[in-house]
Amino acid sequence: MFRSVCRISSRVAPSVYRTIMGRSVMSNTILAQRFYSANLSKDQVSQRVIDVIKAFDKNSPNIANKQISSDTQFHKDLGLDSLDTVELLVAIEEEFDIEIPDKVADELRSVGETVDYIASNPDAN
Amino acid sequence: MPKRLSGLQKEVLHLYRASIRTAHTKPKENQVNFVNYIHEEFGKYRNLPRKDFTTIEHLLRVGNKKIATFSHPELTNIH
Repeated sequence: MFRSVCRISSRVAPSVYRTIMGRSVMSNTILAQRFYSANLSKDQVSQRVIDVIKAFDKNSPNIANKQISSDTQFHKDLGLDSLDTVELLVAIEEEFDIEIPDKVADELRSVGETVDYIASNPDAN
Repeated sequence: MPKRLSGLQKEVLHLYRASIRTAHTKPKENQVNFVNYIHEEFGKYRNLPRKDFTTIEHLLRVGNKKIATFSHPELTNIH
């Protein structure tokens, strides 16, 4: 499994490095890149997560007016209770075609944590 | 947020997650019926005291059995 991750990173990293990063940080880019999914950047992930949250119609006035950033917490900022949070996470799972294990999902409390997890999941797409 | 959940509360959330996932395996047009049903069932016991362990454990068993029943692919809608 680890070998396949390395292969992916070696395929993707050079193009990422050319388009996004400066020349001097190439080695950093590869190191950071190898644990992330092959085709998703963090910005893409967070944009899609935010779209799912906006489309989530519970308490829509509450969510629609809110500025959602990576610091936004599901409970405190969005006013979702624990059951709503579960539902939202399942919606996000479907968007990225993954299944977040119960143990991980219990710990996800903010948009940023969720984005980090999805970006580090090689199955996400 | 330091709100720690008890093991039993986590089990309830796991049951809820499994229910919602099961609902999403059903035909698109009927999913809303399943989700409404789940909301209804969980809503009935929303005000159950959190110390009422025996009742909660009983409901968890009933709920898990129901999921097993409802996950049959032939079952496509509820009213």
